Amino acid sequence: MFKIALKDLKLFRADKRAMLLTFLLPIPLITLFSLAFGGMGSSSGSKAMILIAADEDKTPTSKRILQQLDSLKEIDIKLTGLDTAKNWVRKGDEDAVLILHKGLKDSLDAGKEMPIELVYDKAKQVQMGLYMSVLSGNLMRIVGTKSMEKKAMNRFDSQNPGMDSAMKAGVHQMIASNFDGGSGADGKTANSDGGAILKATAMEAQKENAPGLVQAVAGTAVMMLLFSVAGLGASLLQEKEEGTLKKLLFAPLSPQSILFGKMISANLISIVQMVVMFSFSWLVFGLNIKQNIPALILMILATAFACSGFGVFLASFAKSRAQVQGLTTLIVLTMSAIGGSMIPAFVMPLWMQKMAVVSVNYWSIQGFYDIFWRVLPVTDPVFLSRVGVLFLIGLVLNLLAIRMYKKNILNIA
Amino acid sequence: MIKVENITKSYADVVALTGVSFEIKQGEFYGLLGPNGAGKTTTISILSTILKPDSGSVIIDGFELSKNPEQCKRSIGVVTQEIALYNKLSAYENLLFWGSLYNVPDAGLKKRIEETLQLFGLADRQKDKIETYSGGMKRRINIASALLHRPKVLFMDEPTVGIDPQSRNLIFEVLEKLHTDGMTIIYTTHYMEEAERFCDRIGIIDKGTIIAQGTLAELKSTGGIKESIAVTFTNLNEDLQLKLKEALLGDFHFSKQILTYYSAQIRTDLSKLILRCNELGAEISNIEIQKVNLETVFLALTGKQLRD
Ligand SMILES: Nc1ncnc2c1ncn2[C@@H]1O[C@H](COP(=O)(O)OP(=O)(O)O)[C@@H](O)[C@H]1O
Ligand SMILES: [Mg+2]
Repeated sequence: MFKIALKDLKLFRADKRAMLLTFLLPIPLITLFSLAFGGMGSSSGSKAMILIAADEDKTPTSKRILQQLDSLKEIDIKLTGLDTAKNWVRKGDEDAVLILHKGLKDSLDAGKEMPIELVYDKAKQVQMGLYMSVLSGNLMRIVGTKSMEKKAMNRFDSQNPGMDSAMKAGVHQMIASNFDGGSGADGKTANSDGGAILKATAMEAQKENAPGLVQAVAGTAVMMLLFSVAGLGASLLQEKEEGTLKKLLFAPLSPQSILFGKMISANLISIVQMVVMFSFSWLVFGLNIKQNIPALILMILATAFACSGFGVFLASFAKSRAQVQGLTTLIVLTMSAIGGSMIPAFVMPLWMQKMAVVSVNYWSIQGFYDIFWRVLPVTDPVFLSRVGVLFLIGLVLNLLAIRMYKKNILNIA
Repeated sequence: MIKVENITKSYADVVALTGVSFEIKQGEFYGLLGPNGAGKTTTISILSTILKPDSGSVIIDGFELSKNPEQCKRSIGVVTQEIALYNKLSAYENLLFWGSLYNVPDAGLKKRIEETLQLFGLADRQKDKIETYSGGMKRRINIASALLHRPKVLFMDEPTVGIDPQSRNLIFEVLEKLHTDGMTIIYTTHYMEEAERFCDRIGIIDKGTIIAQGTLAELKSTGGIKESIAVTFTNLNEDLQLKLKEALLGDFHFSKQILTYYSAQIRTDLSKLILRCNELGAEISNIEIQKVNLETVFLALTGKQLRD
């Protein structure tokens, strides 16, 4: 049985066309689909960058700062609560959010460090840099001078503790007028001090995966998987047509073990293919595959089992290799279309979504959505039910394949 | 070694075997000779366990085929009519795979593969993929792949159909070697020359049954067929024909200008016949001695030619 599987893997490796179909073709497809669905759910694209901000200070000063930022043509401020804002970053919906912490006005007045924070998605270093460059310059202009003015006054106060208040007020007046006039000239110092004004905090996003990317990767993965296992299934008929199946039957091994060998190799190839596709999506498109590895492994196994079951089933009930190839194209494309491999299931009409449940694609793609987008834990019943359905589909198809195999394939001569 | 008793087999609309029986001793080279469609492949398929007979029994190496197929399979090697190899794998990889199915220990198997490749003259091409091989080379590897587990019995179904002379001779040499080494072989063919050349015993099969079997000598004497002398005359008229008929003894007949004379001792009869013809003034233009061979035996038994 394992010898047969090993031989099938060797044959697969020797078959350049199959290798290409399995490992290379999915890559442009994923790229294509992820470009097509790329904009879905993420907020890039408009000219002015939309910046989510949370105002915890809720003072006129903090409001004024946000208003002034909003008035800039390169920034659109959208206000929300602190938790919501952080959540969006955590889920990967936003690359970064600006937070004006409580006590902003007080620290501004006291000339202390400013509690302004940019919380950003750790994986989005580039976007963070962009935000930082735009924000720090502008923030400096808006609040920086104010804060330095306070700093200068504080320094003066602490150096001259004995001075009477009337004198102090006079000096403060002087300092203030000094800063008002010189804000432009002091641009350089201001900029270098910008880091102190805006603190950047990285946040590990749990779900940086845009649904468009999940759709592209999962949809393509399942569809291509179906094609490549159908190819492997067809090799059973090729063996029959070329007489090697007959020769296998001369050997002292049970006829079923030939089929089991095919099942094993189909599963292995499926698993490797998915690992390759997800790795590619991780490396190139930043799909966060590391956030829920156990669930991902489970889903890959379930999908491999269901898909390979489909492959051997198809082969066992077809009459010839040509028939398998025709059927494969027809069934895989139909299943992929209704199951949401090409178009996301949720944009399809309701009746189609209902039909989708008969396809392997649907359960698998939804499962990958669970992992990458809905971020369900591996123990979540919804997620587990999808795994269960896939294993069930695989089981039924494999059992049918065994029956049909005895009836169809083994009647040689 | 092999005992086949009255096996029958029908496909959907054809009766392929109407009752085949034969027995083969250890080390015997048995030929199954018959025209296309006679039932040779069907017989081999049943013996190699991939086809179930409708009735009858087969015993191989002491094991009843229907009860102990696995045991029987271990004793047999099968070379089919069609070449069954993985084209995308090299000859070596193919042999390694086919050999491994019979649980030959790895080290032993690799040694046997080397030896077998040597035997078939393909050692230098072993790393090449089968798809780059010529038909004859493929056939050699195909035969080699059935020998790696050292079967006690070898079934070969028309292994020389559509093959170049060089490969054919190589296969013959290997077969002779295997025979001398004591392997029991069943060899099917529709070429009588092949059957005459190798076989200790021959079964002639036609329309799903064995119509005669025995050694070559035994078969030649079946059906009472004798060798004959065919004499062609230039001046054979009715008068001359009458004179000859009176003068000749034994079994003969005339057709047009040809006299066919049957005889059990053709060498002594030949000179007598020529002498008689000269005496009677018959002018001979050609003399042909027609020996008894499997072709003529088949003709005598079935009234048709072995090859269509
Ligand atoms: N799979 C099959 N289905 C139907 N008829 C078959 C099948 N295989 C062989 N036959 C028929 O059985 C008879 C014997 O065939 P076969 O054993 O292949 O003869 P041979 O090998 O001597 O040429 C032929 O009449 C052939 O047409
Ligand atoms: Mg045949």
